[in-house]
Amino acid sequence: MPLLEITGLTQRFGGLQALSNFSCCLEERELAGLIGPNGAGKTTVFNIVSGFYKPTEGSIVFNGKRINGLKPHQVTAMGMARTFQNIRLWNTMTVLDNIRLARYAWLNYGFLSAVLRTGRYRRAEKAIETKAREVLEIMELTEYAEEFPKNLPYGLQRRVEMARALAGNPRLLLLDEPAAGLNSADVEGLIRHIRWIYDEFKISIWMIEHQMKVVMSLCRRLAVIDFGCTIAEGTPEEIRRDPDVIRAYLGDGAL
Amino acid sequence: MELVLQQCVNALQWGSFYALIALGYTLVYGVLRLINFAHGDIFMVGAYLAFFISTALLAPDGMFAFPRELVLALTIPLTMIFTSLVGVTLERVAYRPLMRKGAHRLYVVITALMCGLILENGNLALLGASRKTLPVLLDKSVYDLWGIAVTNLKLWVILAAVLVFLALHFIVVKTRIGMAMRAVSWDKFALPLMGIPLDSVIVFTFILGSGVAGLGGLLFAMSYPVLEPYMGAMTGWKAFIAAVVGGIGDIRGAFAGGFLLAFVEVMVAAFLPSTFRDLFAFSILLLILWQRPTGIFGKPLTSKI
Amino acid sequence: MQRYAINIFFLVAAVTLVGLAQAGMLDKYVLTVITFMGINCIFAVSLNLVNGYMGEFSCGHGGFMCVGAYAGSLLSVAFFTNSKLFGAALFAPELAPFLFPLVLIGAGLAAALFGLIVALPSFHTRDDYLAIITIAANYIIISIVENIDAIGGPRGFSGMKKVVGLMTDVANVPWMLIWTIIGLFACVMIIYRLMTSTYGKGISAVCQNEVAAEIMGINTNRVKIMAFMVSSGLAGLSGALYAHVYGYVNAQAFNILKSTEGLVMVYLGGMGSISGVLLAAVAFTLLIEVLRFVIPWLNDVLHATGLLAVNYELGQVWKWVIIPLVLILLMQFRPEGFLGNRELTHVFPRLRRWITFR
Repeated sequence: MPLLEITGLTQRFGGLQALSNFSCCLEERELAGLIGPNGAGKTTVFNIVSGFYKPTEGSIVFNGKRINGLKPHQVTAMGMARTFQNIRLWNTMTVLDNIRLARYAWLNYGFLSAVLRTGRYRRAEKAIETKAREVLEIMELTEYAEEFPKNLPYGLQRRVEMARALAGNPRLLLLDEPAAGLNSADVEGLIRHIRWIYDEFKISIWMIEHQMKVVMSLCRRLAVIDFGCTIAEGTPEEIRRDPDVIRAYLGDGAL
Repeated sequence: MELVLQQCVNALQWGSFYALIALGYTLVYGVLRLINFAHGDIFMVGAYLAFFISTALLAPDGMFAFPRELVLALTIPLTMIFTSLVGVTLERVAYRPLMRKGAHRLYVVITALMCGLILENGNLALLGASRKTLPVLLDKSVYDLWGIAVTNLKLWVILAAVLVFLALHFIVVKTRIGMAMRAVSWDKFALPLMGIPLDSVIVFTFILGSGVAGLGGLLFAMSYPVLEPYMGAMTGWKAFIAAVVGGIGDIRGAFAGGFLLAFVEVMVAAFLPSTFRDLFAFSILLLILWQRPTGIFGKPLTSKI
Repeated sequence: MQRYAINIFFLVAAVTLVGLAQAGMLDKYVLTVITFMGINCIFAVSLNLVNGYMGEFSCGHGGFMCVGAYAGSLLSVAFFTNSKLFGAALFAPELAPFLFPLVLIGAGLAAALFGLIVALPSFHTRDDYLAIITIAANYIIISIVENIDAIGGPRGFSGMKKVVGLMTDVANVPWMLIWTIIGLFACVMIIYRLMTSTYGKGISAVCQNEVAAEIMGINTNRVKIMAFMVSSGLAGLSGALYAHVYGYVNAQAFNILKSTEGLVMVYLGGMGSISGVLLAAVAFTLLIEVLRFVIPWLNDVLHATGLLAVNYELGQVWKWVIIPLVLILLMQFRPEGFLGNRELTHVFPRLRRWITFR
């Protein structure tokens, strides 16, 4: 059974057909990529999968359960996490608090416990603290625990965002252009980092990326979309030679 | 039936007042994303200015002692000019320095609230509690239209609101400065790059908004000649609500919202005890906002991820 | 010891205050001012939860205070006194001081219920549209109260003096001061503990980036409901206290002007800073009271120096010109409020030995 199975996904915004009949399958422990020119509908796919948009048509099955129509926080609670194209960290909270909040979906105490500081509250907070510190440690962010994200360099902010996504113990991690805005040295680091996360956390990763270097060296399978339609699927090598892909990226005259 | 029609005329008149105030809210909001909570009090200032100007011009032993028609003709532009001066002064003295400092938007809103309080209470403190009465500037004549009594004043009020709406719509849609105003609301930082001075656009917006409110104040004072310092507060709040229900930032919205609010109010007051007026009016508006969270003409909120 | 320093300090201050009042060293006026200071603090701190921590612009907080004031008054009149409205008292009058917390809690719950009115539309809308909904809610609440004739309608409602009297019969101590202090302590404690828990930090997350919050597994709708209900519930508590201190309530006392006072205290103190807002609430209440004496004095001085026309008297109306003016000036100099979104401990790090705010 595939981990994520998308069939016949169609999304219309008013008159705009952002996505038409998009299908895709992601196996357990896979590292796959989704590429395409600007405005092709890649982020739309992620937004639908993570529950932010309700698809016009189609179905998404994650981990054996149909998830379309669920709210993002429900999808997250089922074991999916994502990062954003433009980093979305909570800037007035410390890095540690940012990570802690990723455990919100699993909080087992309520308002009264928080105010009365019951035993359940203290146990839960302790567990969250331990988990957050652990994630920081693994991601080599411990020294920045008390910093505010906005004071960190861009590359570190990306790493914090990834740590935040991982703190929720996801089975599937969606990365939306993790290399955007990084310089080439950072990109090298990022590639190593993603591969390491993939091995260390034993999770599946699905990423959108523009930089060919990243997808080619990381992903074993790629899907290419343009104008909301899948135009090619296969290994990086196959994609590289696919005439449709070349046409989509470089125009008709390139062939 | 005649009662309903009669009430419709009243609603149109009140709607005109609300619309004239709401237009100012919407203009300023559209350009600065600032709720100018002092705007209702600027309306009040307009009414008082109209009183002072017309009294001074009419005074038989004064230096002018103009005939009434001339006084009316002079009072209208003078009131509008002086009221816009008040509006621009507020912007220069209170809002602009704060915005320059990059204060949180809500601090500017609070400052506007405080300016409103100063205008109300300063007026009360300076002029005392005795109420002013606007001299009669226009002889009342009643027309009988299909069995409904309509005074000439009501017709003028409605006509004025429609004309103002058309004029503002023309300015915003067709003229260069109107284009600049719309540009500011899109991107405040790109505008200076295009060679348009931001400050003059803002000042122009305040002139338009306050001038229209001044006209509203004058017309209101002519219709209900007894003036009091708090007259602008409640009317202002309601006009603001009307602007939001119409879709704040859109001129058509302010106009539609103003008339909608007036219709609801007048109809509720006509058929139910008048104490229920606010309750029903606000509840209905709340329901509308619930269904259309960005108002009648407002564009749906979209956030890009 | 250090851990409890702030609690101990608070306790000592409270006991001293009550002791002074009991010994008759504070005159009635000073006592009332101090009590109102406490009530304003509760009101402002509760508004701060929504306007400061959650970053919404709620302008109708007075409405919830109104609900609390009426609910509290009705409860206490029904509980402890024989009235035309409710018939015989439900409980023996000697129980009044012990069951009074029930009244306060009941008032809080009633107001929290009304908080839902604002919470539900806030799912779809933010910022200025929400501002309008809260203003409308304020008007609606006042209008509802004024249209219920059984509780006095526009004439207001009274009878709470009797209940306070009953408490004084049991033990002759300044009851309302004590309840206000307890209420303030509870309120600050609730907000502080909430905002230091992961559960409550969801509120800040929603404030800063709602999309990220939702996607990181935070049920933003539930967070909003919680924040609005807690905030309005505490405002209700302050309303109930207000009603009992005054002994009389009138819906118009909680109109937009009251809400504006709340906004002023929050933004003057700094959004999202408990200590800042407390400071602002105290300063604001003091300013109002000080002006009561300053204005006549100023009037005399100006007349004596001949700066003011003989036939013009500087009246108390000037208070509401001077206060906004002072506030505008303060905002020009500190456009982020007294403390910004920081707490006192950030401004004076030495305090950190005694208090931790985080």
